[in-house]
Order: sequence, then structure tokens, then C-alpha cells
Amino acid sequence: MFWLSGAPSLKESAVTLRSLHTRREQSRASLSVLRPSRLDRVPWVVLLTGVALVALVSRGFAQESTTEGADAPAVTSARITSVPRYPIPAVHLVRDDGKEVALADEIDDGRPVVLNFIFTTCSSICPLMSQTFAQFDHKLGADRSRVHLMSISVDPEEDTPARLREYAKKFHAGPEWQHYTGTVEASLAAQRAFNVWRGDKMSHTPVTLLRAAPGRPWVRIDGFVTPSELEHLYRQQLESAQTVATR
Amino acid sequence: MSVSIYLHGVTGSGAPLEGGREAGGISTQGAEAACVNCHQRSGLGSAEGSVVIPPVTGDYLFHGHSHGGDTPVLPYVESMHGNREPYTATTLARAIREGIDPDGRRLSYLMPRFALDDADMAALIEYLKKLSVHHTPGIADGILNLATIFTPDSDPVKRAGVLDVLEHFVKEKNSFPIGPSPRMWTSGKTAYAKSMYMANLRWHLHVWQLTGPDTTWREQLERHLREEPVFAVLSGLGGRNWAPVHEFCERNEIPCLFPNVEVPVETGDDFYSLYFSKGVLLEAELIAKQVVALQKKDAPVVVDQIYRSGDSGGPAARALAAELEKQGVTVHNHSLAPGGTGHGLADALRASGKGEVLVLWLRPPDIAALGPPPPAETRVYISGLMGGLEDMPLPADWRAHSLLAYPFDVPDRRGVRLDYALGWFSFRHIPVVAPQVQADTHLACSLLSEVIKQLADSYVRPYLIEQLQAMMEHRLMTGYYPHLALTYHQRFASKGGYIARFSAIEGGHLVADGGWIVP
Repeated sequence: MFWLSGAPSLKESAVTLRSLHTRREQSRASLSVLRPSRLDRVPWVVLLTGVALVALVSRGFAQESTTEGADAPAVTSARITSVPRYPIPAVHLVRDDGKEVALADEIDDGRPVVLNFIFTTCSSICPLMSQTFAQFDHKLGADRSRVHLMSISVDPEEDTPARLREYAKKFHAGPEWQHYTGTVEASLAAQRAFNVWRGDKMSHTPVTLLRAAPGRPWVRIDGFVTPSELEHLYRQQLESAQTVATR
Repeated sequence: MSVSIYLHGVTGSGAPLEGGREAGGISTQGAEAACVNCHQRSGLGSAEGSVVIPPVTGDYLFHGHSHGGDTPVLPYVESMHGNREPYTATTLARAIREGIDPDGRRLSYLMPRFALDDADMAALIEYLKKLSVHHTPGIADGILNLATIFTPDSDPVKRAGVLDVLEHFVKEKNSFPIGPSPRMWTSGKTAYAKSMYMANLRWHLHVWQLTGPDTTWREQLERHLREEPVFAVLSGLGGRNWAPVHEFCERNEIPCLFPNVEVPVETGDDFYSLYFSKGVLLEAELIAKQVVALQKKDAPVVVDQIYRSGDSGGPAARALAAELEKQGVTVHNHSLAPGGTGHGLADALRASGKGEVLVLWLRPPDIAALGPPPPAETRVYISGLMGGLEDMPLPADWRAHSLLAYPFDVPDRRGVRLDYALGWFSFRHIPVVAPQVQADTHLACSLLSEVIKQLADSYVRPYLIEQLQAMMEHRLMTGYYPHLALTYHQRFASKGGYIARFSAIEGGHLVADGGWIVP
């Protein structure tokens, strides 16, 4: 296959960030299965295919649950990892209501958090991710008031609070779902903190993060996830957080 | 009809296109389900991070991609799949309806399964067969034909500066043609895989100088295009009205890359025109943002603005007034007669003395002729772009309390990003007569040169635009702009600016008055 034979030089222009990045991604991707300990201190990695096996383990706790069957991520082949902690940088973002807020305060407000990164002029993966959030939110029913959904823009200069409000409206976002923008630097800091920065927004990849409570580990979903899969993971995390709390 | 499915998500019956996903997945309808959202207007797909969206033009779907063997059968595109059998009409219909590829594998979750009846399916497949067929107007006999367009009202000094840069760039481009790299002994491959497909084209620049009133430009442009077919329009210089050129490019589906215009055209669905920024319209947004912040509940702000009719200040003043009036600000417009240095200016200034804010959309000769300044409590905003940026001949007694709308990075911060272009000019003895437009012209040339390499040999006009949009954010040498970025739905690469002021009355340089503002 002639086009694959020259893979390291697919991107020819050596001075661009993207080419440097592409190579790093390639080498990292090929290592990730063999060498579980990646830059983000992921304890281990499970690749989900076919009948899914979800066994989320967090540092300091016993194995929490193993599930299989129709509810678990089988459709989308997402990769799910548990990450004990993401250090949150001291940056301020601008929420879609125009208020300047500290990222850490928004994340640690006590509610379970489900977080993704989007931009409003993205027509391929972002609408799918935002629809997933919308349907996940809907599935929660009355429990919706307990969750905090956060979508951070990776194109903050285009995505003004007004544009974000318009975008949120399209997905019928309730008060529990907020969108965030800010300076380019602040958005970058947030993306780097959660290890989703891929060199530029056009290389933005689908990542969803969820955490049951402050202090609990993050569940990181690389790839697409269906609303049911997300709901399943979410409820599972909430349950195990409760078990730990009452122990 | 098939165009509607691909571009707009509307089926033959007029009903919205329906796309589903398996087991609990997200469904999608209408415009959001349209193929163009992912596969792009060119149909050549995209590579977005780990998500690779393959090309869907007939060439790539129905032809074998040569399993093994080194002979390139199809032009290289980044997202092409190598490892599958060619589609037939039957297997393609199955892929679109059920998400199964010719080898029986499941397509990505991202790709919806579309409910299309046989007539719609046939129409869509016909559309894909014809999409981006490698017909390359403007490229013949190893020559890439480009045009640059000057309107008759464009500034003659800037015109000379722009043309000087363009001609040097093209000449240099042709004196060092970069061909495919040699084959390596061991593998028989080339050092750069893509260079195997890289066409070695010489650039030919056609200068299209428009004449007469703007109502005749359309006809002139169409005639130029018939006589000298070009692949793209590069840079150029406009005056008061660029709309006829913009519309020409959209109508003929010709990329129109980064013209030097103060008033770009701002319409929703256009695709082929890319600009560095919104020019004076961006300045109006920067000023509006500050003025609105001055508003207090019971004391509406009054703004006076002065501009010469028939110049870029007119549209800028209208945009500013529209935005401010929406916010309850009172705006008084003072339009001066066209031409004439300082003519009518004193009267307009006298008449506008009462407002809290004075906005000037004036050229350097008018600015040099400004009389006594308004009272110190009046905030003065001046269009940097029209007034000559930091070289603005602002009288000393105005400098202390005038603020400039400045849609670029401020001088002391852009040094490194600009050094390369300035060095390039100096080395070639190109007189720097209009630094900003010349630097932008050089940037436009560099971007085109880079994206042409990126195209390998897929010379497809919409693909040129898509590749530019995808690569823009990686660029480090961004000249006057702190950073540039585009996505598939954006046409203005730099989105913000500063409000700037002079640091001292005499000999002071320009500094930012606050941070970078994205209105």
C-alpha cells in the first residue's frame, strides 16, 4: 500500500506544529497498548471491542465493578481509562452567561461533572458529542438537577458567550449544562490540563471526562460514546462513589 | 437534487435527510446530516485528529487503490483509505444505508446510516461520481495560473508595494522549482512519500487591473477569466467596494485568497473568499465594545463620528452606528464630501463637540489637518487602518487622549513574526512603502505556496480552501497578526485587535491600551 509506506512523512512541512505533533501521536498511539503508563499517569488502559469489558480501577481503592452486556460501550469502540487526578490550572474562563469564573471552582462545585471540549463551527464530531450530552442529560430524568455538564470551547476567539448560548440552545441545554470560552491561553491551559490538546483545534478528537465527586478519579472516554453508554458509566461511578462514602 | 442531499441534507421529495446510528446511537436530520459536514465540499474528506474522514468522490470510491505496487493511481489525499476493495453501486448503497464497507467491515460510528430511497441513492451516487473530477482550470502545461486583482480606486502607492512583493515572490518561486525528491536506493521510495505525487508547477501571475465604475467590474472580471483562466486569485488590493470581486469569486467558484481590503464582504454561506481580518468592520466592533461599556443606566452615551463619503469609513460608520444604536447609544453621523484634504473637517468637528465620544474614520491628510482637539473629557477613537497605523500624522495636541482601533498585534509584540518578511524585502531591495499591506501580501503568498505543497497533486479548488482552513492554525510566522485560525466555516483568520494609544506626545510609540479584544 504505497500511501502507507511513507507514513512518517505524510506531513511534509517540518516547521508546522502539526507535523511534530502527528509524529508524537503516532509513536504514542503505537505504544499505548504495550506501555500502559502514559504521560497522563493512566494506571492502565483497556481497549473495548465487541462485547465490552469495563473494569474501572482507581488508585487506592479496590476494584469497583465489572460490567458486560448491552449497556456497556460496545457500539463505539471507545477507549476508557481511569485517571486518578488531573491537576486543574488556576485559569479563568468565561461562562456562556458572560461571567468570568475559575475553572477549578466550576469543576469542584460538588456536583458530579461530565466534561467535553467542542467548538461551534465544527460540523463533524462536535454536533455528535453535543447531541450525546443532550440525550444523556435527558435520560437522567429527575437526576438531571444533580449533574454538572461542562463543554469548553477549543476555539474561544470565535466562540463568544453569545455564540455559545446560541449553540447551547440548539441542543436544548438546561441550566445544568454550561459552555465556556475565554482567552486562547485559558482554553489551551484547560485542554492541556485534561490532555486533550492535539496541536490545534482542527486536530480536536472526541474525549469525554466524567467524575462522580471531587476527590474521586476521572473516567476518561477517548472516542465516541452513546448516550446509554455514558449514562451507564455515569450511574456506575455515582454508585461506587456512594459505596466509598458510606464505607 | 443530489446536490441538495450532499450539501443541504434535503432529499428528492423535499423531506429532510435522515441519518441513524446503531443501537442507542445518535440520529441526525436535515442540514446536520448532510454529507458535506464531514466529507467537505470537495468530497476529499479530512483528517481531524484521530478521526479520519475518507474521500467520497467517485475516483476514490469506485477505483482500486492498488494493493501493493508503487504506481500512484489516484492523486494523494491525506485521508484516503488503502485497505479496502473498490465499491460498486450496490456495495456503496449498502455502506450508505447500513454502514458496511465492501469487505464487510462496519464503518465508523461517526458515519450515520442513511434512509434513502432508490431514486435518491442513484442521484447521490451520480453526484459523487462527478464530484471533484480532476478537471483543473487554470493549470496547464506545468503552469499554475493565478490572478491578482486591483480595483481602480485602490491606493496607487500601496498598489505598487503589493505588486512588487507578488512579482518577486513568483519570480523566486519559478527560479527554484521543487520537484519530486529522488528515489532512494534501498526501498525505491522517495524521501518524502508525498513528493512522489507532487506536481512541479511554475507560477504565472496575471494582473487584472479593473477600470471605470464598479457596475462594470463584473463584466470585466468575467472577460479576464475567459481570456486567462486561473486556478485562484491571490492577494490584490481593493478600495471602497470589494463586493463585485467577492461575488465574482463565489459565482465562478474560484478561491480568492487574502486580498488587501479594508471592507471585506461579510455574508453567511460564502466559501471561496478568505480574508485575514474584517478590517474596518472589526475596528467598528472593537470601538463598539468599549463604548457600550461606558454606558450607565440613566446617562446614555452620545457618539459623534466623522467619515468621508465614498471611502471605507462609510461602511465602518454604518456598522458602528447599527451596533451602538442596538444598545441604546445615540449616534450622530457627520459625512464629509468625497476627496479634499481637510475640507469640511473643521465644521464637522465644531458640530460634533457635544458628545462624550468622537470617532474618526479618516485618511492621513485629513488627520494631519485636524484643528484644535476636543475637550479632554471627550474620548477620541481613530481608525488605525485608515489613518496609517503607528505612522498616523496625528497632531501633537491630539496624541495625548486619542485611542486607535488597531486590528493587528501592537508593534513591540510582533517583531519576531514580522522579521522574516521585512528581511525578505530588504534582501531583494523591495521598497517598503506600505509595510502592513506588503507584509500581508507576503503572508498570502507564503500560505498559498505552502498549501499547494499540501495539495500534492489534488488540484481541486474547494480542496485548496479546505486545506488552507485546516493548516492555518499551525502557522508560526503570522506577520502582523498574533495568531491566525480558520475552520471549515470561517473566513476571517484573525478575530481580534487592540485599542492602542501613543506612549508619549512627541516621538512616542504605539502601545496597547489594555489586552487583546475579541469582540
